Amino acid sequence: MTELVEEFYDEPTDYVEDEALGQIVDAMWASYFAHTEFLLPSFEQHDIEGDILAASVTISGARPGIVTVSVERTLGLPLAAALLQDDGELTDEDVYDSLGEVANIVGGNIKALVPDAGPLGLPVVSTAKPLHGASDRLAARLDANWQGQWLTFEVWLAGGNGSENAGV
Amino acid sequence: MKALVVDDSRAMRKIIAGALRKLGYETIEAADGAEALKALESGPLPDLATVDWNMPVMDGLTFVTQVRANRDYRALTLMMVTTEAEHGQIVRALAAGAHEYLIKPFTVESLEEKLSLLGLLPEGVQA
Repeated sequence: MTELVEEFYDEPTDYVEDEALGQIVDAMWASYFAHTEFLLPSFEQHDIEGDILAASVTISGARPGIVTVSVERTLGLPLAAALLQDDGELTDEDVYDSLGEVANIVGGNIKALVPDAGPLGLPVVSTAKPLHGASDRLAARLDANWQGQWLTFEVWLAGGNGSENAGV
Repeated sequence: MKALVVDDSRAMRKIIAGALRKLGYETIEAADGAEALKALESGPLPDLATVDWNMPVMDGLTFVTQVRANRDYRALTLMMVTTEAEHGQIVRALAAGAHEYLIKPFTVESLEEKLSLLGLLPEGVQA
């Protein structure tokens, strides 16, 4: 590893900030959820308690990362119904697919901000938040309320030497 | 006019196909590039294919490359509809043979503008 690269890794990851994440989420909401209640960003952190659904996509490349959207599990169905504009009987697959696509859209746009990014991974949806390595850095976070429930968008980037980082 | 919507997300297929149907398109859907190639083989050839980039089995760039390598599909217009927003990725897609590029998230209006640029807005529809 060259000194230049080592120096780069020591720099704060200020190319992905809360403001940029907020703009991406805002654009997505305007495009696909404008017919629903407003998404209300919060200046305070609201950790989701109880059952959770989390969708994530990985960013590979020189500075690996992971972009996650987490919601209260009960929000999964209304979120899918809103995205699909379908109030009929939706399946768990619809819910996972919709949440995964939300993560995919946010992740793809975040990837464009990360220098020397490699391919974007396919969305993974689970009932637990992805684990992170001790040196990973939370580069950006957005907590927002929709229909009275909380969503959290997070961007984690590998800290230190990204190749040593198993969490991201 | 007919459109093939290629995306591994059922939600996104529904969003894109719904917008195209409102414009007067008949739509068919495929969940990956390989499925889309089968749809083309079984015909008839659509006027437009919207293509996601990141998909399992066969990604969108591979699909575009394979379509452009087949002279039977010359009349098919290819539009990438993807989250891959970097300039370099756009250049790669266009170099491989895509005609237009639309970044998610997109509005129905931006989709109509791209179709207008391609001359693929059905008669009576204005962007």
